Formats: sequence, structure tokens, C-alpha cells
Amino acid sequence: MTSSHRGRFLALLCLLPFAVFFFIFQIAPLGWVAVHSLHAESGWGLDNFSKIFASKFYLQALQRSLEISFYSSLFGILIATLGAYSLRQVDSRLRDFVSAFANMTSNFSGVPLAFAFIILLGFNGALTLLLKQIGLLEDFSIYSKSGLILVYTYFQIPLGVLLLYPAFDALREDWRESAALLGASHWQYWRHIGLPVLMPALLGTFVILLANALGAYATVYALTTGNFNVLPIRIAALVAGDISLDPNLASALAMVLVGLMTLVTVVHQWLLKRSYHAR
Amino acid sequence: MRAEPGKGGVYHRVVVYLLFLILLLPLAGTLLYSLATSWSASLLPSGLTLKWYVALWSEPRFLAAFGQSLLVCVGALLLSVVLILPLLFVVHYHFPRLDALMNILILLPFAVPPVVSSVGLLQLYGSGPMAMVGTPWILIGCYFTVALPFMYRAITNNLQAINLRDLMDAAQLLGASTWQAALLVVLPNLRKGLMVALLLSFSFLFGEFVFANLLVGTRYETLQVYLNNMRNSSGHFNSALVISYFAFVLLLTWVANRLNKDKS
Amino acid sequence: MSFVSVEKLHKSYAGTPVFQDIDCQIQRGEFVTLLGPSGCGKSTLLRCIAGLTPVDSGQILLDGQDIVPLSPQKRGIGMVFQSYALFPNMTVEQNVAFGLRMQKTKAEESQARVREVLELVELGSFAGRYPHQLSGGQCQRVALARSLVTRPRLLLLDEPLSALDARIRKHLREQIRAIQRELGLTTIFVTHDQEEALTMSDRIFLMNQGRIVQSGDAETLYTAPVDLFAAGFIGNYNLLDADSASRVLQRPIASRLAIRPESISLGLDGELDGLVRSHSLLGNVIRYRVEVRGVELVVDVLNRSSADLHPDGQRVSLAIDPTALREVA
Repeated sequence: MTSSHRGRFLALLCLLPFAVFFFIFQIAPLGWVAVHSLHAESGWGLDNFSKIFASKFYLQALQRSLEISFYSSLFGILIATLGAYSLRQVDSRLRDFVSAFANMTSNFSGVPLAFAFIILLGFNGALTLLLKQIGLLEDFSIYSKSGLILVYTYFQIPLGVLLLYPAFDALREDWRESAALLGASHWQYWRHIGLPVLMPALLGTFVILLANALGAYATVYALTTGNFNVLPIRIAALVAGDISLDPNLASALAMVLVGLMTLVTVVHQWLLKRSYHAR
Repeated sequence: MRAEPGKGGVYHRVVVYLLFLILLLPLAGTLLYSLATSWSASLLPSGLTLKWYVALWSEPRFLAAFGQSLLVCVGALLLSVVLILPLLFVVHYHFPRLDALMNILILLPFAVPPVVSSVGLLQLYGSGPMAMVGTPWILIGCYFTVALPFMYRAITNNLQAINLRDLMDAAQLLGASTWQAALLVVLPNLRKGLMVALLLSFSFLFGEFVFANLLVGTRYETLQVYLNNMRNSSGHFNSALVISYFAFVLLLTWVANRLNKDKS
Repeated sequence: MSFVSVEKLHKSYAGTPVFQDIDCQIQRGEFVTLLGPSGCGKSTLLRCIAGLTPVDSGQILLDGQDIVPLSPQKRGIGMVFQSYALFPNMTVEQNVAFGLRMQKTKAEESQARVREVLELVELGSFAGRYPHQLSGGQCQRVALARSLVTRPRLLLLDEPLSALDARIRKHLREQIRAIQRELGLTTIFVTHDQEEALTMSDRIFLMNQGRIVQSGDAETLYTAPVDLFAAGFIGNYNLLDADSASRVLQRPIASRLAIRPESISLGLDGELDGLVRSHSLLGNVIRYRVEVRGVELVVDVLNRSSADLHPDGQRVSLAIDPTALREVA
């Protein structure tokens, strides 16, 4: 029995290096941020938070973050759902090729993506000119909120497809056949059976996309050289910018961001409970 | 399987091609731009050339950035392997109930955006006894946390698939010590899953920008930071840079996919 | 005029024909079984009748109307699947009411009919449960109720009992047959289990490799198999080629013979001499393997008393009922 005890002690020892590194690089910074969000010039308290919520500037950052995340996730999940469903129905060669391609483009986000979009849809971009010539485009800037929504939607799509593709496994073919024999049209099947069964996966994916967009920094930074007012940019500007550095305020903003993501997750769990829940 | 009626088939093919086109467009545009002699304010480039690629690959700053990215990513992955493999083994063999806790812990790198961690990292390790900001060491440590979820999940699935307990028990009944069993029996079986996880994590780390820019910046220029710093130089040069980066990542993912399919 | 008439039906999949030129007629109110080994085309034929699989050519007449151009929604056919296919996001009641909902039946009438049919399958108290809370047998009964409530003209059952264990299978078999008789519903049942086919059907269509090999009632199929395949599939026939048959019966026989095991009696005085090689107890029947002049025969004896027990190695004499000798192609 002692050798077993010694064995377990050695085993615990193996866990130690991991725990140390994980603490240093993940837990400690998070802890610092959490603690210092409550530390303002005037001492400990909620001053940072009141400053944030009283400032039009920061509220705008919050609003913009939410808008961009929401719309890009919404459009992203719509396109991803249609795409993933059709992907399952085509022949295996096409399916494997496009799946692999989607897999690879999910790596194409951040700075490279920003550059690619500037090339295509910047002020002198090829697509901008083409669309202006056709007359479809009047006053569009990739550097505006709608432009950002477009770019964000782009990198949400592969992630959405990757997450939703296996979710369609849950839909059994004989449900569709059974519904058809009972008189249900294509749409009725989706409305009464298909979508309700998929709903947990759809909601879950939507939440992941939302969190993905809320925390995204690289793309918007590269696209607008850090000049667009969203939460991640504001946070970074307060710790690494050229102007006033205020790590405590940054911490408070960071906690607001984390709080938003937590809120979104909580709402998701609540919605899950209310909708159909598979065993 | 059941044959699909013709009408439905066409719709699905169209959707898939559309999806492909949407995803392809920015890439295609960048590729074209990198091969163009000049392409300003017109619909198509004026000519094709490889000169931008030549310029890129002979630029010492680019090669340095590429090399530094490689170093940091490889370093982070080595660290990950050294830390995570023993961890996984211990958790699955000795303390299976810790697996639930671990699954929650590895959510942290996902749930906490890098910007948020950077705030704390800059303050804690910017100066003082553990000053690492501006050095590649802090990057290696952070990249370890980034790779953690991927590696943990991939190797866990692999361990479950090979049924760790049974393998260990069988080996020990045949006379091997715990160490021998782990090294000679379990490890070889993990090789393929490990390779795939490493390749995929590598692709992900290679594209990381937030930590690289905020914690280290130009003091140890990785490829992504270099790319951003070059924003004011020629767009053609930048496109060649983007395409080269993407081609490299493509290669890695392709190898990972082949290994994956190859699983016997 | 037949109620269901399949005429010259032709179906290929990826270049290989599944069945060609299938013809069959089914009368109103009949319970018909499509019986055959895996891959013989019985399920495909059923799915073609339901409209779930398109046919290449031919006609399917239901009550005089060709239903081939109709979508499954419009055929008025009910179907029970092997995997139950209950909608997981709906309760039992909602599942059963689904077809009525699609027909835009008023809520009151729908409720009443649902309740009625749930009583019919003895699941009245389960209306509020979800499919994952039910056992396999209960799921299948809900599936049955769901397909009956819309009052279809034709009921199809695709190996509905294969996924259930033996005891429940027996019980459900009887229940399905009883309900079918009570409603007078024309029914096509698909199975690979010959016992199921023999006990439940008015008529059986025996299929092999895309052809209907033989059709008839259970008695005919069992006692008069038309060819080697039929004899091998139904029952436990002794199949003897001409040489072995000649040797056993001590007279020249020109063709293959099929002999039912229960038509051979074992005793101590009979024309043939044999040696008991082995035996197995099947409950009410003892199955012997007896060697007669170098040919092994399977003999089934009713387990009535100890007089019917013959130990291995014992010499016995056999008597074969001459009317039970069937020539098969």
C-alpha cells in the first residue's frame, strides 16, 4: 500500500509544473484584473465602473461591441446553417473539398484578413470600384460599423460551419420521411421538428460566435489601426497606448467584457432549459 | 444510401458553391494583388509578376520575423507537450475525477479574451522579479495556455479511444513498471493524435496577434506583428506576405488532415 | 378489382437493378407480408409504395388511382418504421396528433381521436411522456397509433419488431394483427423472420433477389415450396439431391426432394434404419439428426413423453409420410 501512496504522491508531483505554469500565465493575470478593477485613484470601490457607465465614450464602445458581435454572429450563423446543411447533402468529393477549405479559412482571421478586405473593399479596392460602377454601392466604407460587421461575419462563417456540421447528425432521416407521410411539407417539417431539435446546437453555436466576436482584437485593430471604438480596443489602449495609461480602468473595462460574455452564456443556459432538451 | 431527387440536389450544390465562393473571395483578391504589377483604382491588375514574392523572401526582416514566429510556436508546443502529457496521463490513470475539473479549467483560455489577460500580464510581469514583458519567454508561456484546450481535448479523446487503463493493466501484468508501460506502450499509441493536435495548434499559434503585439511588440517581432508594422508599405508586398503566411498554414493543415485520415 | 396493384415496377440503384417487372395484387382488408432475406428488395418495394424512394418505371394503383406521381404527403398511406421515428421534441400525444395537425383537424376532434387511438394501443396514460422516457415496445405502439389516427387507406410496416426483444415481439405481433382485423385496414408487412410471416399474414409474398418467388397463404408456402430457395427459407426442410434421395428411399428418384422434419417419425419399427447422431431440445420439440444410409436427416419429434427420447448412438427406424415428399426444382 505504501508504494501505491508513493506512486500517487509522485503523480501529484507531475501535476505541479503544469499547475505552476497555468497559474502564472492564466490564473494570476485574471486575478490581477479582477482585483484591480475595484482599485481606482480614490481607493477601493466601484469608482472605475461608475466612470465607465457615466462616460458616453465608453458606453459607445460597449454599444458598438454588442452591435457588431450580435449582427456578425446572426449573419454568420444563418449562412453557416444553410451552408452546413447543404454541405451534408452533396456528394463526398465536393463535401470533403469544401469542408477542408472551410477548415483552412478558419485560420484566416486577424491581421491577414483585415489586409485582404482592405484590398478588396478599401477605398480603392477592386470590389468597391466594381460595385460602384454597377451602381450597387453608394457610400460604403469598410472602416465603418457596417464594414466591420461584414468582416466579422466573414470569419464567423467557417467557425459556424465547423460547429454546426456535426449537429445535423442529430436529425434522423426517418423523421423527415415519417413527417412527409403524415402530410408535412418541407417547411412544416423544419418548423415543427427539424429546427426544434437543432435549437440547442444552434443556440450554443450562436453563443460561441458571440463570445468570439466580443473578444476579437486583431481584426479590428489591423483594419482601423486601433482607431475604432470597441471594448477590446479601449482596453488595450489603456495599457499599451501612447496616451494616458490606466491599468485599473482597463481592468474594470475588462471585467465588463468578461461580464458580458458570462451574461451571454447564462442566457444561453436559460434558453436551453426552456427549449426542447434531448436526453 | 437513398437517392436524392434531382431538384434538391441542384439547390444544395449551388449553396455549397456559393459558400466556397464567399470564403474564397478575400483570398483570391489577395492572391491576385500579390501577383499584380500594379492594381490601383481599376477592376483588374495591369500585369502579373512574381517580383513581390522575390522581394519578400529576400527581405531579412521578414525572414527574421518568420524565424522568430517559428521559434516561439515550437517552443510553446514543446513546453505544452512536456507539461500536458504527464498531466493527462496522471489525470486519466490516477485521478479520473479530476477530468471534470480539468474540462472546466481549459475553458478559461477560451472564455477569457487575450486582451483581458494582457492587462494583468503587463502589470504583473512588466517589471520586478518576474519581468518577461518584451521577451519571447512571456509569449511562450501565453501560447502554452492558448494551445492547452486543443491539446488537452485531442489527447484526451485519443487516450479514451485507446482505453488507457486496460493497456496499462495489460502491460503491467506482463511485467512492465508504470514508467515502462507509459513510455513503451501508451506513448507510441498517442503519436498520431499528438502529431495532429500539434500541427493544428501550431497553425493557430502562428496566426496569433494579440499577445504578440501587446506583450512584446517590435522587441521580438513575430510574423503577425511584422505584417501589421508593414501596413504602410506597398500593398503588393503585404499581399505576398499574407499569401506566403497562408500557404504555410495551409501546408500544415493539409499534413494534419492527411495524418488524420491515415488513422488505422 | 384489387385494392393495391403493383404493375411492372422497375427500380435500379446506381446501375444495378433492385427489382425488375414486379407484379403483385393485394385485396382490400388483407394482411400481406413481404418476406425474404436481406437485400432481396422487400424494403425498397415498400418504400416505393410509400413514395419515399422513386421508381424508374411501372405503376402502383391504390384503389384504382396511380400513386406513382404523387408525393408521400398526398398518398394517404401510413407507415411504421423499424426505428420508430418518433419526433423527440414532442410528447406522445403531440406525436400522435401530428398527422391530424397537418390535415388541419380541429383541436377538439383531434384530441378525441388521439385519445381513442392511444386506448387502442393500450397507452392511454402515457400521453404526456416523451419518447426518451418510453421503452422500445411502447415507442413502437405510439408509432402505430400515430400512423393509424389519420385513417390511412393503406398501412405499411417496415420490420417494426426487429429491434425489440422476443417476448415483446410476440405480444406486439398479436396486438398489431388484432387491431388490423378490427379496423379492416389493408396492410403490407415487411420482415425477414419467417415465423412472424407465418403467424400474422393472410398471404405471403416470398422475395429473393428482386423477384417474387412465390405467393400464397402460410399453409401453401410452408407445405408446398416452389423451388430450392423457398424450401430452404421457410421451415427446416431436409433438402436432398437426387442421389441422396435415391439412396435413402431405395428407389430411383429423378429430382431434388424436400422433406419436412416433422413428417418423419421415429420408432422401433419402420421401413428405414438409422442411427441417432445428435439431438437438441427445443422445448416442446426434440430435433434429432439421424443418419440414414450415409445421409443425415433432421427429424422433429413432439416431446410428449420419455418414449420420445432417443439417446445419441441409438439405432432407430424411421417412417416417412409419402405425401410429404416434395419435388423441388
